[in-house]
Amino acid sequence: MSELLSIHHLSKSFGRRPVLKDFDLTTENGRVYGLLGLNGEGKTTLARILMGVIPSDGGEIRFKGRRIGFGDSGYKRAFGYVPEDPFFYEDMTVRSLLNFNARFYPLWDAKKASSDLERFAIDPKARIRTLSRGMKLKLGLAVALAAAPEFLILDDPTSGLDVPTRQDFLRDVIRELAASGTTVLFATHLVHELERIVERLLVLHGGRLILDEDFETVKARYQASLEDIFVSLVAKAQGGRP
Amino acid sequence: MFIALYLKEWKEKAFLFFFELAVLVLLVLGQSFFREKKDVREWLAYAVLLVFFPFAALILGTGGFETEFRSGAWAYLFSRPVHKTSIWLAKFVAHLSMLAALWLVFAAAWLAVPGISELAGGTQVLVGFPIGPGFPSWAFWQSAFLLMISFSLSLLHERQFSVLFIGVFAGVGVAAVVWAVLNSRVGGHLAWIAPEKALPVFLVGQMLLALAFAAASILTLVRSDFSQPRSQLLGFVGWAAPLLVLALVGTAVWARSSPTHGRSHLWEIAFTGGEACYKTDRGIFKYSPAEDRIQWLMKAGPFSYSVVSAAGGKVAYTAYEVRTRHDITEKLWVENSDGTGRTCIIGGARGKNHWPDDTFIIDLLISPDGTKVAILSDSAYGGHRCQSPPLWIARTDGTRLENLPDDAALFGIPHGIYFIRFVAWARDGNALLLSRRESNKPKIFTLWLYDLESKNSRILFENAAPASWFPSSPQGNLMALKYQATPERPWTLGLFDLKTVELRKNEASIDHDCLWAFWGSQGDRLAYVARRPQPNGQDVYILAVYSLAAQRVVAEKRMTTSEAEAMLFAPSWTADGMKLVVIDREANSLKILGVDLQEEGQAPFPAWMNKPAGLQVVGHQALVEDGKNNTLWRFDLEKKDWKRIY
Repeated sequence: MSELLSIHHLSKSFGRRPVLKDFDLTTENGRVYGLLGLNGEGKTTLARILMGVIPSDGGEIRFKGRRIGFGDSGYKRAFGYVPEDPFFYEDMTVRSLLNFNARFYPLWDAKKASSDLERFAIDPKARIRTLSRGMKLKLGLAVALAAAPEFLILDDPTSGLDVPTRQDFLRDVIRELAASGTTVLFATHLVHELERIVERLLVLHGGRLILDEDFETVKARYQASLEDIFVSLVAKAQGGRP
Repeated sequence: MFIALYLKEWKEKAFLFFFELAVLVLLVLGQSFFREKKDVREWLAYAVLLVFFPFAALILGTGGFETEFRSGAWAYLFSRPVHKTSIWLAKFVAHLSMLAALWLVFAAAWLAVPGISELAGGTQVLVGFPIGPGFPSWAFWQSAFLLMISFSLSLLHERQFSVLFIGVFAGVGVAAVVWAVLNSRVGGHLAWIAPEKALPVFLVGQMLLALAFAAASILTLVRSDFSQPRSQLLGFVGWAAPLLVLALVGTAVWARSSPTHGRSHLWEIAFTGGEACYKTDRGIFKYSPAEDRIQWLMKAGPFSYSVVSAAGGKVAYTAYEVRTRHDITEKLWVENSDGTGRTCIIGGARGKNHWPDDTFIIDLLISPDGTKVAILSDSAYGGHRCQSPPLWIARTDGTRLENLPDDAALFGIPHGIYFIRFVAWARDGNALLLSRRESNKPKIFTLWLYDLESKNSRILFENAAPASWFPSSPQGNLMALKYQATPERPWTLGLFDLKTVELRKNEASIDHDCLWAFWGSQGDRLAYVARRPQPNGQDVYILAVYSLAAQRVVAEKRMTTSEAEAMLFAPSWTADGMKLVVIDREANSLKILGVDLQEEGQAPFPAWMNKPAGLQVVGHQALVEDGKNNTLWRFDLEKKDWKRIY
C-alpha cells in the first residue's frame, strides 16, 4: 500500500492554548484509521485543517506527495468530510444541496446519492432546517459518499445517530468504503465504536499522537479491550499508572 | 463551480431582491400616479436616486456572508473544493448583478415614463462642483461603491446591522469627510488639484478605496482563521490599513499625473518688476526665469475665482479665505513684485476698508505707476446690481478705498445683462478705459472712458475692443485697438493714444481683419495675426510685424488656413525684442522667428504635451501651457531643453 497523506510537525493554537503540537501522521491507501482522543484534544481541529477550513500555525501536509496549503482547493475533490456538527444551508432542500455539491466533484455519483437518501430515509424535497441532527448527519454522509472520495474524514459522526443506523454505518458503510480503496480517518471519543472497524489505531493526547500502531498488534500486546487500552495510554501520558 | 455559487446566492437573496424591486416599482409608478404634481415627482425621482439605490446597495452588500454566519455554513462552504477567491467573486458578482438588475428596471422606466429623465437627468450640484455625466450615473457609481464596501465588510461580522452601519460610515462617511474637507480651510489650499479634477479625483479615490476594501476582504477570506473572529478582524485591519494608504497615495499620484481638460489662462499675463505674473486654473503665480521656478501668490481652491493685475512694480490679486461653505471671505492683496510689502486692501480686519457683503471682485487694474488699483465688483454685471456702485478705487498702500459714483450710461441697463472689464488706465491715471459687451448683442463691443475727475463716462468707440488681453504698450502710452466700421465689417487694427484718448492718425489703419496683437518688449514693434480672404473663398491666416519707427508693416508670413490654429499662435516676443516665438501646432513645435519672420529655429513639443495653448516668453524661457493636460512647460531658448513645471 502506498502513502496517501502525510503530516509533519503540524501545530495549531487558539489564542495561547496549543491544540496541536508537532503532530505527525502518515496514512496509506484503503485503510481505516481510528483517531481516539479526549474531548478538546484537537480531533476536530485536525479535520478542519485537513479540509482547509482553518489554517494551521505551522507544519506540512502532503497528499499523494504534493504539499497542500491553506489556500489550495483542488485536493479537496478527493476528500470527503462529515463534520461533527452538520451545518448546511438551512434554507436549501436536500435535493438542492446535492445539486449544489454535484458541481464541485467530478466523480459525483448521482445514483449513489439517491440510493443513500433512500437507504437513510431522507426526503429529497425536505428543507434542511426541518431535519433532525441525526438526519443531517446522514445527509452529510450521503453527500460525502456520492463524491467518491479517496480520503474520508469522519469527525465523530455516530454520536447523533440512532442505533440501527449506527450499526448499519459501522458495519456496512465503513467496510464498503475500505473495500473500495477509500482511506477513512474516523475520529471519535466513543472508544467502543472503533473496535469493530479500525485497522490502525491513533491516540491523540497533548497535541500529538501517543500511539500510531496496527490495532491487531496493540490488542495482542495489551490483551485488553480497546477502552482499557485507551484509558491506560492516556493515564500513562498524563503521568499516572498504566 | 462559480455558476453554482452564483446561483446559490441568487436563490438565497431572491426574497430581498424582489422586496427591493417592489419598492423601486412603487417609486417609479408614483411618477404616473402624481403626474400633475411636479414637486412630488421630483421628490420621488430623487428618492430613488439618492435614497433607494444607495440603501438598496448597502442592504444587499451587508448580506454578502450573512447566510454563512447565520447557519454556521462557512465551514461547510470552505471545505468544498473551490478556491476562496472564487467564493468571494461569485458572491460579489451575484450581488452586483442584483443591483444592476434594479438599475436596469430604473433605466427601462427612464425610457418608458416620460418626464423621469427630464427630472433626474440634468446637471446637478451635489458635492460642490458640477456633475458632468449626469445625476443618475453619479448615483449608479455611488451605489456600486457602497455595495463593494459593505460586501467587503460583511465577512467580518454576523450582525448585518453592524456591517450596515460600518458600511454607511465607510461609504457615505468618506464622501461626507471629503465634502467637509473641500469646504474647509484645508480644501482652499488643495490647489495642486485643478478644480476640473476635483470630481475625477474624488471618483478615482472612491474606486481605489473600494478596491482596497475588496482586496483586504479577499485576503482575509483566503488567509484568516474564521473560527477566531478576533484574529479574523485583526487580519482584515492588517491588510486594509496599508491598502487604504496605498489607495490614498494612488489617488494623489493620479491627481498629480493624469491629464485634465483644463481651461487655458496663461495668456493672462502682466509684467512688473522684471517678473511675469500668470493666472491659471490653479491660481496665480509669478515665474522667475533666473531661478527657473514658479512662486504661487494664490492657490485656487474649489470655489476660487481669482483676478490679478500687475504694473508699476506692484501685483494685485484676489484670494478666497474658505472657512466653511457659507463662510467665504474674498480678499484683495497688493504686494511688491519682489514679494515684499504685502497689504490687504479688502477683506482684512473689519473697519479698515468697508466692502459690502455678498459682493465679489470681477476685475482689477493697477495704474502704470503702481500707486492705485481700480476695482470692478460683480454689481457691474447687469441683473446682479446691488446698492453699491460697481466701480472702486484704492491706493496700493491699502488706504483710501473709494466707491466711485455710479454712471447710469455705463452701468445702467435696467433689464439687460452685460459683461464689462477694465482695458487700461488713460490720461496719466485720471481716467479708466472699460470694454462692455451686452448679452443680447454679443458681437458688439463698446469702449468706454470713465473720467475719474468728473466721475462721468462716455463712449469712445461703438465697435471697438482691445486687440489682446493686455493691450497697452510696455511704456503704457499706447494701446492696440481693434475697431469696426459696422459690426459686420472686419476688425481694423489701430493704435490708440492713452494720453489723448484718440486713435493715432498716422497709424489709424494698420491692417484689416485682425484677430490678436502682441506688443514687443521694447514697445517698438507689434506682432499680430490677421485673416486674408483668398479668391478661392478660403481664408489664410498671416502673422505680421508692424514697426512703429517705420510706421508700416515690415514683415508678413503665411501661417495656416485654420482659424482654430490661428487663434492659438499666441506670438510672444523675446526680452530683447529681436525674436518672436509662436506655437505651430501643424508642425507640432515651437517656432522661433526673427523680426523679418524668417524661421531661425524650432523645438518639437515633448511627447507628453497634447494641446499646446498659451505661450509666453520670459527672459530666455518660453512658458507653454498644455490646454488639455493642464500642465505647464518651459522651453529654454538657450539650452534648447524642455522641462515640466507642473
